[in-house]
Amino acid sequence: MTAMITITINGQKVSAPPGSTVLQAARLASIDIPTLCDHPALASIGACRMCLVEVKGQRTLQPACTFPVTEGMEVQTESPLVVEARRFILDLLFSERNHYCMYCEMSGDCELQKLGYRYGLDHWVYPTYTQRFPVDATRTHFLMDHNRCILCRRCARACSGLVANHTLGVRHRGARSMINADMDVPFGQSSCVSCGTCLQVCPTGALVDKRSAFMGRDVQTEHTKSTCSWCSLGCGMDIVTRGGYVLRVDGDWDAPVNAGLLCQAGRFDPLYDERERVTKPLVREGGKLTEVDWDKAVQAAVNGIKGVSVEGLGVLTSTNATNEALYLLDQVFHKGLGVTNTGLLNEVAARVPARAPGSLEDIAKADLIVVAGADPTEELPVASFLIKRAVDKGARLVVVGDKDNGLAPFAYLSLDAADVGRAVDLAERASHPVIVYGADVSSKTAKALKKLDEKATFVELQLGFNTRAAVAFGLNNGFDPSVAKTLYVLVGEQNWDGAAVMGKLNKEAFVVVQASYESPLTERADVVLPMAIWSERAGSLTNTEGRIQRVQKAAEPKGESKPDWEILSLLAGKMGQKPATSFDEISARAAQAIRPS
Amino acid sequence: MPKVKIATDWLAACAGCHMSLLDIDERIVELLELVEITSSPITDLKHPPKDGVTVGFLTGAISNTHNVEVAKTMRERCKILIAVGDCATFGGIVAMRNLVGTEAALKRAYIETETTVDGLIPDSEELGRPLDQVTGVDKVVKVDLFIPGCPPSADALWYALTELLAGRTPVLPPEYFKYD
Repeated sequence: MTAMITITINGQKVSAPPGSTVLQAARLASIDIPTLCDHPALASIGACRMCLVEVKGQRTLQPACTFPVTEGMEVQTESPLVVEARRFILDLLFSERNHYCMYCEMSGDCELQKLGYRYGLDHWVYPTYTQRFPVDATRTHFLMDHNRCILCRRCARACSGLVANHTLGVRHRGARSMINADMDVPFGQSSCVSCGTCLQVCPTGALVDKRSAFMGRDVQTEHTKSTCSWCSLGCGMDIVTRGGYVLRVDGDWDAPVNAGLLCQAGRFDPLYDERERVTKPLVREGGKLTEVDWDKAVQAAVNGIKGVSVEGLGVLTSTNATNEALYLLDQVFHKGLGVTNTGLLNEVAARVPARAPGSLEDIAKADLIVVAGADPTEELPVASFLIKRAVDKGARLVVVGDKDNGLAPFAYLSLDAADVGRAVDLAERASHPVIVYGADVSSKTAKALKKLDEKATFVELQLGFNTRAAVAFGLNNGFDPSVAKTLYVLVGEQNWDGAAVMGKLNKEAFVVVQASYESPLTERADVVLPMAIWSERAGSLTNTEGRIQRVQKAAEPKGESKPDWEILSLLAGKMGQKPATSFDEISARAAQAIRPS
Repeated sequence: MPKVKIATDWLAACAGCHMSLLDIDERIVELLELVEITSSPITDLKHPPKDGVTVGFLTGAISNTHNVEVAKTMRERCKILIAVGDCATFGGIVAMRNLVGTEAALKRAYIETETTVDGLIPDSEELGRPLDQVTGVDKVVKVDLFIPGCPPSADALWYALTELLAGRTPVLPPEYFKYD
């Protein structure tokens, strides 16, 4: 271990590892130094000068966020000189654009405003702004009000440093500086991928979420940490609610998978879902779907299931279901009834390497990344951010596949599947090759990649959501619709185009659907069991790495809908099965089955 | 000990700051033991007495020539001038006019309003003329103390008054700060 460096801050001895900045050292000792442009997830650039401190022996005040500690350094963080300087900086910041708090969305949660209060800015020393700056609302989900921008560049640093998208930058110099996208085009027409990371890091009201704007200050809201269920990465998210209503979703900075990042599909899309919810159990009576109570609906489902032989039973499930629900599907249908005609609503990536695949963290360590049979930009966007980040750091990217790939513009080489040999050759010569593969890998490509079994780290990117758990329960078993007389479909929230499969189903077949939204499938159903959505359920999910993570309930299920596992639990009970007595037991057994210890 | 004389007035304001002053509730009895409220929009005397007062309160923004006159009179007749509220300190809601310009704002309000027929922008000699820029009070007269807030809390006003009465210069602690 390297020796710690000891410095004195406000007379207090503080130790910090070599290479730390004064700000980092102060934070280690819980000494508060105000910041604006600094953000824990972003590289420090010393832009705002709020963190200026007095360092003995230095000619001028120094920014704590970029000034490295040296042995014996003496620092003052709130001396009269420092306070005067900070007040002066705040006076300048408030004078440059429209920082009238009273008509700003962020008032109450704004970092600039908090500093104004802290340093007693009771009036404006300098003439107030007169120039009007544009408001860019061309993006679907959030807008940029340049009038509120303090040019801290957090958004631009998040866009390049975290998301590696490099859409945001700054044009002009000094007071004329403006945040802009690409070569100064409207945000909505730029290369922006609407991941919303910039929105999440903005300290003022410059970036505003359209949906949750003016719907409550942070103190009026509740935060629930959960796991995103919109792809198989399982990003950590923070669901922000007020009075049981979901306002918005933030990335969870502490989450192991994504460390704060989310994509459009995780952050925004679920909140913009306009499909009609199924809120009451329905049973087909006299040819018409009729609202009934849960008991009657479950009984009708059981009648349909028990009314046919086991060969006539089919089970289809979306992978957008919790471990607990998939465990119960396995218990009720596989173990309980001996059903084998089961399938998933998405393709599954077959395991390529002989050993267990690596984790997403391995991507950052790569000097060569081969992406085969997957387009992470479409399927698992946050994984594409991680890959692009590695490319920024110097890793070479090789894309293999016959389809268009969103990563191709960032690739050193794009190859047809037939030329996979060249990718293998390159990987053989790299020091840390990482092979990222998905469901679209052909057996031929897989065979070629297998040559790298010893040399490379493989990262498996599953399609769907909780696919890994569904596969562990053997639910991906080549479903054949033509033999099913009774079909149980857990479609959940998935927007499944099931026309091809349902077309092959016998017209007389009895269909039980566990769904959150109305669809052609629920119209075809004989029994519809209303299911709670992502924000309304608790449970766990298994991500593409095999990591089991918790999902927490942030809102009450709509109408009479119930969480996915609870519906299957009712069904099991009605059939006289008893797979478990409590949620915790189901959860523990599911985890045990997915990842045997 | 003679009572400390106080005068208050409003400029381009909504009366919210005066409401907030009344929100000190029963403490107003304690206050009236120590001070004499001479003129205010809510008393019979509307202009500060010529022989002067110790503390003058101004709420509201400087929006027209009349506001300038009132602010100057108050400044001449008080020893300590306090700008109360966001409008008096920053221009507040009224300063939203700066975003469109005075001319456009007048046109929109008096001529282009959907229900207006044969609109006319008032230009009587009796009326103050709107200024090109709405500002806080300190842009036309010297202000000794600012209490921002829309409105400032009754506690903030009470704190400032009691500090003054105790002979100290009020330094508003961060918890009394509010820009909205």
